[in-house]
Amino acid sequence: MLTHLFKLIWNKKKQNFLLIMEMLVSFLVMFAVFTLIVYYYQNYTRPRGFEFEKVWAVNYQSPQGMSDKDSIAAFNQSLKQLIKSMPQVENVSFAASNIPFSMSTHNTNVSHEKISEMAHIYAVDDEHKDVLNFNLRSGRWFSRADQGSRETAAVINADLAQKFFGNGQPIGKTIDFEGKKLKVTGVIDDIKDKGDYQGPDNNLFIRIDTSNQAWIGAILVKVKPTADAAFESRLFKSLSNVIRNSSIEIEHLADKRVTKNNLTLVPMIILLVVAGFLIINVALGLFGVLWYNISKRKGEIGLRRAVGASGGSVSKQLVTEALILSTLSLIIGLFFAVQFPLMNVFDLAADTYYIAIACAVAFIYLLVIICSLYPGRQAASIYPAVALHEE
Amino acid sequence: MIRLQNIEKVYRTETVETLALNSISLDVPKGEFLSIMGPSGCGKSTLLNIMGLLDAPSKGGIQIDAQATGNLSDKQLAQFRNQKIGFIFQSYHLINDLKVLDNVELPLLYRSSTAKERKQLATEVLEKVGLSNRVKHFPTQLSGGQKQRVAIARAIVGRPEIILADEPTGNLDSAMGNEIMEILINLNRQEGTTIVMVTHDEQMARKTHRLVRLFDGSQVQ
Ligand SMILES: Nc1ncnc2c1ncn2[C@@H]1O[C@H](COP(=O)(O)OP(=O)(O)OP(=O)(O)O)[C@@H](O)[C@H]1O
Ligand SMILES: [Mg+2]
Repeated sequence: MLTHLFKLIWNKKKQNFLLIMEMLVSFLVMFAVFTLIVYYYQNYTRPRGFEFEKVWAVNYQSPQGMSDKDSIAAFNQSLKQLIKSMPQVENVSFAASNIPFSMSTHNTNVSHEKISEMAHIYAVDDEHKDVLNFNLRSGRWFSRADQGSRETAAVINADLAQKFFGNGQPIGKTIDFEGKKLKVTGVIDDIKDKGDYQGPDNNLFIRIDTSNQAWIGAILVKVKPTADAAFESRLFKSLSNVIRNSSIEIEHLADKRVTKNNLTLVPMIILLVVAGFLIINVALGLFGVLWYNISKRKGEIGLRRAVGASGGSVSKQLVTEALILSTLSLIIGLFFAVQFPLMNVFDLAADTYYIAIACAVAFIYLLVIICSLYPGRQAASIYPAVALHEE
Repeated sequence: MIRLQNIEKVYRTETVETLALNSISLDVPKGEFLSIMGPSGCGKSTLLNIMGLLDAPSKGGIQIDAQATGNLSDKQLAQFRNQKIGFIFQSYHLINDLKVLDNVELPLLYRSSTAKERKQLATEVLEKVGLSNRVKHFPTQLSGGQKQRVAIARAIVGRPEIILADEPTGNLDSAMGNEIMEILINLNRQEGTTIVMVTHDEQMARKTHRLVRLFDGSQVQ
């Protein structure tokens, strides 16, 4: 029977070529759509790597008019003490303005030996890890012990450590950043500080010491569960009293996260709507072509049944034929699709592509089975004489 | 071999109801060569389709080989058609995307047989109908008479006990028609095949054992 089907397919090669092309294009479109969906889904399910609940952000500029580094440092130190002394406060961290879920970013190329990588740079203090509860994977977060060392202490995320050092030991190694050398003291788990749909990224945390206090642009305050709106206004008042020449603003990271997510959600929803239309389009297109092809074969179906094929065996034949054709087109499609992970196009993880390929293959097969089963069943359910008559 | 009891067939379309067959009762004993005649549209093809289990009657019953067919499942009907009946259609009904040889092999595809057996049997019957030199052709590359002979080869390749032929010589000149008739007569004589043939040709009908005339869906003699 299979030989018979191959003969039939071969004899109709012109018509089948078009069908194969249609399925190929459908597959490639579905591959693109599923890559997108899988990518977003994988990002969404990636662990966040830090805690944002009960963390408040105070936007704050280092006081102007204070040109002396040491006096700025002293001022910041006393500010930190002031906040920390409040009973509702658990911990405080000073950081550059690119705190989690903020609109500001700071990225640049950093390198280790011959490898250069674009990374987000965060200037933060010793308490930052505890305020955001990063998961330390190896080594330690920088601390007062790193004060005055020749190379500024830095912590990187696991992804960047993998890229720079492979499976080797990153702790104690140096990284080049803007002409200076940084020493890696620790590696943390990957974080999603740009929102829930953020893809894998490189993060480099640099220790703030007396020499680079000017980088500070925000204060992160981890508050206790008892902290309420009344406390927030008290905090605001005390800060306003101390920081006289800068406007301050208190935000909750939880709110900033929602805003940030909504911002990335809009283009994503647009893309997914387009993807949805593409899926419908592909489904209808394939359905139409297969349906038309089978309805044109009413006479053949009638004849096969007249000479002894049961309705079931005719249905099976039509589905098998369509599956053979779709397998041919999927083989061609797979050849193109695997180039993406093999050549690392778009810098996505290989498994994103492979999952998308699997989804697209399953989708096309499912569609082909439905599209050939239904019209085939219909054609096979009428009496042979009627099918022959309708030819 | 074939027994029709009070067969009635009504075709319904949106506008009209056609009574294509009106209470036909007919017995075709084993080994008989029966011909059916009648004006165009009188229901000959309809009758043949019902005999061949290609269509269901609106009323009445059909027995083939002493077996009632009314309650057979689709699968059983298919097997019945495959094993017992060879059909020669008025308009050939060849599959244009298959070569002559593959068209002829078709009935064998639906029973247990090897590719080699199929090829051998098909080649044999094609020789019988004088088409040995056309086995690799497609139906579209054949004349009407040649197509008719392919259709005959397909009908006889499975050695059915019954052949139902709907104007097998209708599209052929008299020489070719006689040749086809020879084939059928030989089959009937040598293999004892029961044949029911629809024809417009009195001369052809005279060569058969018995003639049934239809008029407006009813049997007139
Ligand atoms: N599928 C159908 N739907 C509706 N009416 C039909 C159908 N098939 C046949 N008929 C009608 O049934 C009647 C008998 O048709 P049938 O094909 O049996 O005639 P016939 O005797 O074989 O004619 P011919 O000699 O022209 O082949 C005709 O009036 C025809 O219009
Ligand atoms: Mg007719």
